[in-house]
Amino acid sequence: MPKIEASLSDLLRLALIDDPESLAERLEPLKAELDGMDGDTVKIELNDTNRPDLWTVEGVARGLRCWEHGAGRNLESMPGPTREILVHKGLEGVRPFIASFVGRGPALGEKGLAALVGAQEKLCATMGRERRTAAVGFYRLKGIEFPVHYRAVPPGTSFRALGTDREMTLEEVLANTEAGMKYAGLLKDFEAWPFLVDDRGTPLSFPPVLNSEGTGRVAPEDGDLFCEVTGTDLHTVQLLATILACDLEDRGASIEPVRVLYPGGNAVVTPVIHADTLTAGLGSITEITGLSIPGSDLPGLLGKMDYRRVTVDGGKVTAVMPPYRRDGIHPRDLVEDITIAYGLNRIEPLLPGDYTLGRASADSMLASSVKLLLVGAGCEEIIRPVLTSAQKITEQTLTPEKPVSILNPMTAEYSVVGNTVLPCLLEVESVSGHAAFPHRLFTVGEVLVRTPENRLQTRWDLGVATAGAGMDFGSAHSLLGLLAHGRGLELKLAACDDSRFIPGRCARVFLEGIDSGVVGEFHPQVLTAWGIPVPVSGFEVNLEALRG
Amino acid sequence: MTDTDLHPLELALLRWLSGREQSSDTESIQGTGLDEGSYRRAAQWLLARGFAGTTLSESTYRVLPGPQGMDFLSKGNTPELALLDSVNNGVHSLQQIQEDVRFDKGQWGSAFGALVRERVLGGTPSEIQVVDRTGGVFREVWDGIYKSMRDGREIWLDCLDARLREFVLSRAPKRGKTGAEFIVEERTEATLAITDEGRKALSLAGERKTIGALTREILASEEWRNGTFRRYQVDIPPARIHAGRLHPYGCFLDRVRAKFTAMGFEEMTGPLAESEFWNNDALFMPQFHAARDIHDAYYLEEGASVEAPEPGVFERVARVHRDGGDTGGRGWEYDFSPEKTLSTVLRSQGTALSARALAANPNIPGKYFGIAKCFRYDQVDATHLPDFYQVEGIVLGSGINFRHLLGLLKLFAEEIAGAESYRYVPAYFPFTEPSVELHVKHSVLGWFEMGGAGLFREEVTKPLGVNVPVIAWGLGLDRMALLAMGLSDIRDLVTPDLARLRGMTVKPDGLLGRKV
Repeated sequence: MPKIEASLSDLLRLALIDDPESLAERLEPLKAELDGMDGDTVKIELNDTNRPDLWTVEGVARGLRCWEHGAGRNLESMPGPTREILVHKGLEGVRPFIASFVGRGPALGEKGLAALVGAQEKLCATMGRERRTAAVGFYRLKGIEFPVHYRAVPPGTSFRALGTDREMTLEEVLANTEAGMKYAGLLKDFEAWPFLVDDRGTPLSFPPVLNSEGTGRVAPEDGDLFCEVTGTDLHTVQLLATILACDLEDRGASIEPVRVLYPGGNAVVTPVIHADTLTAGLGSITEITGLSIPGSDLPGLLGKMDYRRVTVDGGKVTAVMPPYRRDGIHPRDLVEDITIAYGLNRIEPLLPGDYTLGRASADSMLASSVKLLLVGAGCEEIIRPVLTSAQKITEQTLTPEKPVSILNPMTAEYSVVGNTVLPCLLEVESVSGHAAFPHRLFTVGEVLVRTPENRLQTRWDLGVATAGAGMDFGSAHSLLGLLAHGRGLELKLAACDDSRFIPGRCARVFLEGIDSGVVGEFHPQVLTAWGIPVPVSGFEVNLEALRG
Repeated sequence: MTDTDLHPLELALLRWLSGREQSSDTESIQGTGLDEGSYRRAAQWLLARGFAGTTLSESTYRVLPGPQGMDFLSKGNTPELALLDSVNNGVHSLQQIQEDVRFDKGQWGSAFGALVRERVLGGTPSEIQVVDRTGGVFREVWDGIYKSMRDGREIWLDCLDARLREFVLSRAPKRGKTGAEFIVEERTEATLAITDEGRKALSLAGERKTIGALTREILASEEWRNGTFRRYQVDIPPARIHAGRLHPYGCFLDRVRAKFTAMGFEEMTGPLAESEFWNNDALFMPQFHAARDIHDAYYLEEGASVEAPEPGVFERVARVHRDGGDTGGRGWEYDFSPEKTLSTVLRSQGTALSARALAANPNIPGKYFGIAKCFRYDQVDATHLPDFYQVEGIVLGSGINFRHLLGLLKLFAEEIAGAESYRYVPAYFPFTEPSVELHVKHSVLGWFEMGGAGLFREEVTKPLGVNVPVIAWGLGLDRMALLAMGLSDIRDLVTPDLARLRGMTVKPDGLLGRKV
């Protein structure tokens, strides 16, 4: 879940709130949690992964403000576009999309600039997928000659990047700057790279890597800004530009749109005013929520959630989502916002009235019965994780079958899925030499095995181990006998060779004539590999075979 | 206490004492044939019960060689006598003598000091003169004490003449015995005599046989009718038994299972390895959306596959992602990848079980739950296990709505957590709308988030063939499991240490739910 850090005083000022103690509770309708407060720094976790508009200080403040004061008017008073960006050929497969706007307002100030940089970084890292799908740039408006040109240029093109003291080629920027090294992977497969210049040819930036030193250096005194978002996904690029325009507008800037001209002749005015309209029948609201909310209450409730132009007519409610939101994809999404605005804790809970039959699964019931037989025989139950290592299963236990491995393990210790439960019991023996002997252990656990067609199958296995002086083949065999007798099953053993066990002291287990597992006295080589100082015998059978 | 039963040890000693006026410890040990430990216990008991009394108690002192004395014995000489020998043989300065490595330099120095004090030697360290060629007290000590020690004879302090006794005591420190030349050991010898009560108890014991363990023979012969049962000491700690038993964590999960079946839920089970189809896509989590990051999964090796979903379901799910299908929504508007949906992952959320249950022609009305092992891409630490249990479930029925969902959560708060109070908080899950989190106030844990729930979106239910509202819920049990087991580190739930496991209490009846 995204987390943001903000200045508490900045947030409270923008949100028009004067009691910081109430913040945690006020954040709840935004699906946000107060994650910590330290001096003027506040940390907030945002749980809705479809609401990037909330991942900025201004966005959270807007949510809090609308809850108290009703819907806002973001981007409703924009003039027509007077500036243009020309997108040149050659960017098609590289980074084809751009969205932009100009904001003219009071000086950002330290807090405003910090918030802007924070928003830029958070949105590029999350929605922008580490700047791949979208990356944001801000510039001082003064001195930029429109139209701005978005071009594909050769890697040998040079400019002076932000924070450097000399001109470098784009290739050198990737090799020699911190940002260059971090984002080089986004460009290395291409022959021409994105470059933004103004009409006089003055470089603005090398998207998605670095701004230029000059117009690309924004300071707290700046109030008039030019913003662009480039990327590989049109929806993301446009949505981020709209979100940032609303944020800047909330800080007092007036937003002026920019017309983007694509090579094919397509023209798009940005920031795009998304105005997704959602309609829900009043009946469906009652069906979903169980509440009878008067239609006349709906405009007020939806205003708290910043919906605009709410109309209730003909048994339906229609509302327009604010321009920075694109997560309304079903009438149900409108219903949820109505429910949240109504207040979850005002709703009277009701128990479902239908009679249904409760029942444990056949596997659980079988496992319980088998466990009780073993507990009666003095065995102690062990529970261990399913994830383990090839080292434990193959190298130490000498299990003949290879376990299924994980492509992206976090550590070698948990890099395969167990295909046998015996290593779990041997691991217990390897660290329990100080526990009074004898040990009679069992575990019932899930294992992942392959069918002959290499299909993965989850199976419940029962493993038993006996350890201590005199715990030979017979000790495991007799527990197996107890189970077979207790379940009323015919038990037959067929001598076999198995690397885990001493030759001549192991066998396949046949229950009702079906090969169901293995029993044996562990080989000293296995015991030595585990560092176990006493003899151990054991068996593993497929739990299903014990059902009978 | 009128108790006159006698322990066999007491009986043996009392019999010995009854035959004589009095008897010293040494005589009694010899006479009864008891080992010293048993004798001392018997004597203590008899004294405590007034069956015997002490007539005399005296201390004797035995002289033993200390570590330094042992060293002198093995070298056959003391530093004083060795120094005297050297001087007698013509060496006249301490410096020359100190080159002799038989003893440490320091020992030569203190030996010289001692010899001068006892007027055996005189002069200065650089010009030593002999005063008493015999060696005086040092010779007497060697002849009278060390030689006897070497021959294994016991030496009693009281038997030594005053001069030697003083010498021994001066070199037998009360503390710091590790460097001592001599050790003086005190031995107390008591003399006991039987009392009248002791004689009475003994005569009673003679009439009635004392029975220890009750045997088949004693029962058959009815011998117990003429005997008395020896009284056992009953207030000592019991002997430990390592019985077979269920795992405390397993008991906790069984208790959870029992709770849900009691509330009318039927248990679901499912595979550990899932296709992304059931793990994510069927739950309307878009393939290339950030929402997928919140369930970072473990992917399984190439070539290993799970069964593909049936084509009808597959196509309906793909379509709802593309354009919303017939759900009334617009979907996620992207190209659904049929390859990605078949990649194999370890189940990252128990909701995969619910998706499978919905597709498998569930009962309507129906209630289902599953205790599912889930895998989350996290570092293992005190609060994260590589695989852990989640309890998830669904409730289906026409007329089911959000109020029923809240009612169910209230029931869980009371029945599962035994919560004092609870509240509902808006939440986000990709597959439910509206969604809610259940926060409960527990008497020990305080406020915590117990779980999440919501009404499944139509984009989830319709493609799986379900046309009634479905409540979906999931609860985290780790914190309650740790509390129930008295643990603070989640790794201890699955400890491989048998001794630790044996140390955990198992009280499944007190694990969960409403306070009675």
